[in-house]
Amino acid sequence: MSKSRGSKSKLSRDPWPRNRSGLAAGGRDHLRVARETLHFVSARMGTSLLVWLLVGIALALPAGLFLLQVNLGAMTDAWDGRPGLSVYFQLDASDPAIQEVVETLRGDASVHGVTFISQAQALAEFQSYASLSDALELLDENPLPASARAVLAGGSGLADLQRLADMVTSAPGVAEVSVEKTWLERVTEITRVISRLGIMLGLLFGIGAVLVTATSVRLAIEARLEELRVLKLVGATDGQIRRPFLYFGVFYGLGGGLVAAMLISLSLLVVETPLTNLLGSYSQNLELAGFDPSFLGVLFAIGGVLGVLGALLAARARLGNLEIL
Amino acid sequence: MSQIEFHQVSKRFENGHEALRDITAAFEEGSMTFLTGHSGAGKSTFLKLLLCLDRPTRGQILVNGVNVAQIPPVRLAYYRQNLGAVFQDHHLLTHRTVFENVALPLRVVGLKEKDIGKRVRAALSRVGLLSKEGLFPRYLSTGEQQRVGIARAVVTRPKILLADEPTGNLDPALSRDIMQLFEQFHQFGTTVIVASHDRELIETMDARIIELSHGAVVRDETEYASGEVLSDESHHVEV
Ligand SMILES: Nc1ncnc2c1ncn2[C@@H]1O[C@H](COP(=O)(O)OP(=O)(O)O)[C@@H](O)[C@H]1O
Ligand SMILES: [Mg+2]
Repeated sequence: MSKSRGSKSKLSRDPWPRNRSGLAAGGRDHLRVARETLHFVSARMGTSLLVWLLVGIALALPAGLFLLQVNLGAMTDAWDGRPGLSVYFQLDASDPAIQEVVETLRGDASVHGVTFISQAQALAEFQSYASLSDALELLDENPLPASARAVLAGGSGLADLQRLADMVTSAPGVAEVSVEKTWLERVTEITRVISRLGIMLGLLFGIGAVLVTATSVRLAIEARLEELRVLKLVGATDGQIRRPFLYFGVFYGLGGGLVAAMLISLSLLVVETPLTNLLGSYSQNLELAGFDPSFLGVLFAIGGVLGVLGALLAARARLGNLEIL
Repeated sequence: MSQIEFHQVSKRFENGHEALRDITAAFEEGSMTFLTGHSGAGKSTFLKLLLCLDRPTRGQILVNGVNVAQIPPVRLAYYRQNLGAVFQDHHLLTHRTVFENVALPLRVVGLKEKDIGKRVRAALSRVGLLSKEGLFPRYLSTGEQQRVGIARAVVTRPKILLADEPTGNLDPALSRDIMQLFEQFHQFGTTVIVASHDRELIETMDARIIELSHGAVVRDETEYASGEVLSDESHHVEV
């Protein structure tokens, strides 16, 4: 007799058929829940803003560290004072042997350029320090070795440097290879520290964000417990009862993402000048990398997921076995 | 097969108290039954088991031939959508209008807004409260609030209507009105089971009376002739 019941043939097999109004009914329910959630949240704007702020801070810190890491990485790439290596030749090294090493370095794809300094050039350079020239004149031979300095091309890193060093160390005529990698190494290490710190903070603050949403969703559940009991009594499914709170979770999470984005852009404004000075001395085209739509998208998505997690946690704790009467 | 069958149903709570003992009873589709007995006799427990708000310790409760204790949790909601329930404490939502309170079960089912309006107004006019649909429950009298609860219970046109002390807070005249409402729904073909300790009232009604005492059925008789004087024997069974 009622629309809400299934066909007669179904009834014999399944006395309480699932409602058949189907997708449209589900859609209507989602719409209703969304509207109610909005109403409920706006009625408690103070609390909602506080939750947004808390979740936002929790997201902003690791996200900010991520940006810093991305930019440090970019900085080492764009760095003008690129790392390189110096090869010092034996004093008795033959010209062909020296030529061979220089050509090998020049021919390598990861090398930007090679400067060769002959023994004579080295001496001339040395003698320009007047006070020392006298000491050298006491010697019969030129004690300064010829050397070649190779500078890495952009995009090549520590691994390339090491490979080049290994390649030429054993070449005939080479006395010593000195790799100038400290700066690059340091930046790489710092980036690594920041990335690990970011992961740690991300985990901790992620848990924090989940707990904050869980707590506020739980409060929302408590405030509506009476209604939930009635809903369950008149036949609302667990899904229907949980739904508004999942919406809360998403709402808090997305709001947190928004606050995080605002906090990050605020911090960028604050550090812009000193950062330009810092980065500008190593690279001409300063542009903060990573703060783009896809970064924001991921930020919001993570916020939303954390929010839903918090809501699920609260719903499970409070609605798992809700006593109706 | 009756619509509702209790087969040797017992309910023992965790504290060891046995609220129902070996209850066997059948309810035909469209029948009307009063469940009576002293306070603590087990009337509410009986209805709760039927609503699947709790499960029997022993025995079976069959509704349409299905053992309700074995309905999986996910389907319980659909089972309850087919029942109407009214309580002494009517459980109305205070921050929603009369209309919204009555509409709740229909929203759960996902009916279209247009159909919800029609159905809610039909239910409200059935209980005589059409003019109050926009009010909040606190502006209604206790009797009116109870009738809103009844409208909410019947708005989905359930096949089975259960009520637990629906007249508990009401004076005799209002109580009679409420019982007559249940009588009406019974006339429309709904199976009605009303728990009430108000023996004076229910014995003036044309309905079967099941009396519980300390969890056991001590009287089960059907009154069909209106105004007939009741056989008094079982009254002495009370402890
Ligand atoms: N959850 C419970 N735990 C323990 N005892 C209960 C519980 N619910 C009800 N009872 C007991 O079961 C008996 C029957 O209760 P109830 O069905 O509410 O009686 P009635 O509705 O007839 O007054 C009472 O003695 C009551 O104290
Ligand atoms: Mg009771």
